[in-house]
Amino acid sequence: MKDNPNIDELLNGFIDGELSARQVTEIQRLLSHDMEVIERLRELQKCKMLVSSLPSAEAPSGLLDQVGISLERRTLLGHEQEYFESQQGAKHLLFRRVVSAAAMIALVAVLGIVIYSILAPEPFTEKPIAVEDLTQPAVVEVQQQTPAPAIITAGLFNGRLELKTTDPVAVDAFINRVIRDNGLSGRIAVINHAEKGSYDLRCSRQDISSLLADLKSVWPKIESATLFIETEQPDTLVVVNRVDTEQIAQIFGQDSLEKSIEVAKDFAVLNNMTDFVPGKEVYAAIDGNKTDLITIPKPVLTSGEKETKKPSAPDEEKASLTIVIVDSE
Amino acid sequence: MIETANINIDDAMLVERCRRGDSAAMEQLIVKYQNRIYNVILKICANADDAAELTQETFVKILENIGNFQGRSAFYTWAFRIAVNLTLNYCKRSAKLGFRSLDIADDGEIGQAKQRLKEFLRAENSPDPAMVAQNKELCEIVVKTLMKLDDAQRVVIILRDIEGMDYAQIAEVLELELGTVKSRLSRARSNLREILEMVLK
Repeated sequence: MKDNPNIDELLNGFIDGELSARQVTEIQRLLSHDMEVIERLRELQKCKMLVSSLPSAEAPSGLLDQVGISLERRTLLGHEQEYFESQQGAKHLLFRRVVSAAAMIALVAVLGIVIYSILAPEPFTEKPIAVEDLTQPAVVEVQQQTPAPAIITAGLFNGRLELKTTDPVAVDAFINRVIRDNGLSGRIAVINHAEKGSYDLRCSRQDISSLLADLKSVWPKIESATLFIETEQPDTLVVVNRVDTEQIAQIFGQDSLEKSIEVAKDFAVLNNMTDFVPGKEVYAAIDGNKTDLITIPKPVLTSGEKETKKPSAPDEEKASLTIVIVDSE
Repeated sequence: MIETANINIDDAMLVERCRRGDSAAMEQLIVKYQNRIYNVILKICANADDAAELTQETFVKILENIGNFQGRSAFYTWAFRIAVNLTLNYCKRSAKLGFRSLDIADDGEIGQAKQRLKEFLRAENSPDPAMVAQNKELCEIVVKTLMKLDDAQRVVIILRDIEGMDYAQIAEVLELELGTVKSRLSRARSNLREILEMVLK
């Protein structure tokens, strides 16, 4: 018996009739001479016998009915559960559809806005060139301003030049002399208001150009010069800050009001850009040749006496320029 | 063997009728197997009320799932698989909750039963097994001894010695290899013998 570690399994198989014929023969051979095997077989048989002889129990009499009731209850619950789940599923599906539709609509709207912003035609009104001025508000483009004192007849070239200076007396005297030297004294409408010098000149553009050429020598005393030019639109002015005599002459030197205004706008932009360019040399930065912009002929003195220029005839009046001297102090 | 074949044919017909919703066939299936399933469950869990409830639950599950029964195994083993699995799950829960009382009282009648059991085990001849069945106290000792086995060994012994399944059917019910069934049954009987010896000391 000790030689076969699986003897219990074989003996149990022998008891249960689960052995092959060869195994049965082997067990029978062992049983014929091995008392230990015989004793072990008897023990196992008695174990089996004890368990097998336990009385069989019968199921409770009401089991069949109980199973039926249980099945009916579960079926009902199952149907309710299925109905509930199907309703829940439908609601969930509907919710998902609504959310999906809303998301699609939102997406289409966003896409539409993006596409419109890309493909939409530009507004017809052409805006003037705008340069962002971080230090001063809107001085570049056409502005609406309170009317200046000198509003001159529509259709003419109407301008107003404000000269801020710390020495208004000297500047005023110089301008007065230059006006006289250019023979424009008769064209001045108002001279020397109570607190500041004001010269309202009505003459040809050529006369104004000559006058401004002569004013160049007093320009170092001018702290700042601003030129306001009326446009064809009422109450709308082009403002050129930090204008100099050459620019003014060039503006007035154009052969039409429209061109003058365009040139004034260019100078307005240019002068404002000057503040943002190192060294404030915009002309050089743009063209590489500052003097190319200005081609005003300079008056030339030929003797010790100043030549009194002959002014243009009154019927040649095509421009009006008001020069105002402002004391900056 | 012929009887088994007839049972299987009947089972197949009943199962088919149950699938079609034939309530009479369902009743026939329940009536046919209720005692055997109840008996096995009772021997595994050793509680009549729980056994009744588990048997009812077993048949409900059988009838609910009979549409899914593929026929790859016999209905008989399939039904017992459900019953055994439900009962073993119950036993695990009960063991965790400590519901079982396995103490064997040592009063007068039990003492006599123990003495008779000792004589039975020591007798060299083959005693009458009816002696056990006719003695209630002796049955109680055997049942409680069975309950001292672990669940897996107890189930194998019950399926073999009470339900009378062969090794192959046990393997099918428990979804085990045939060799595992043999070794487990061998260990179960050996342990049962040892536990009995301890109980009878």
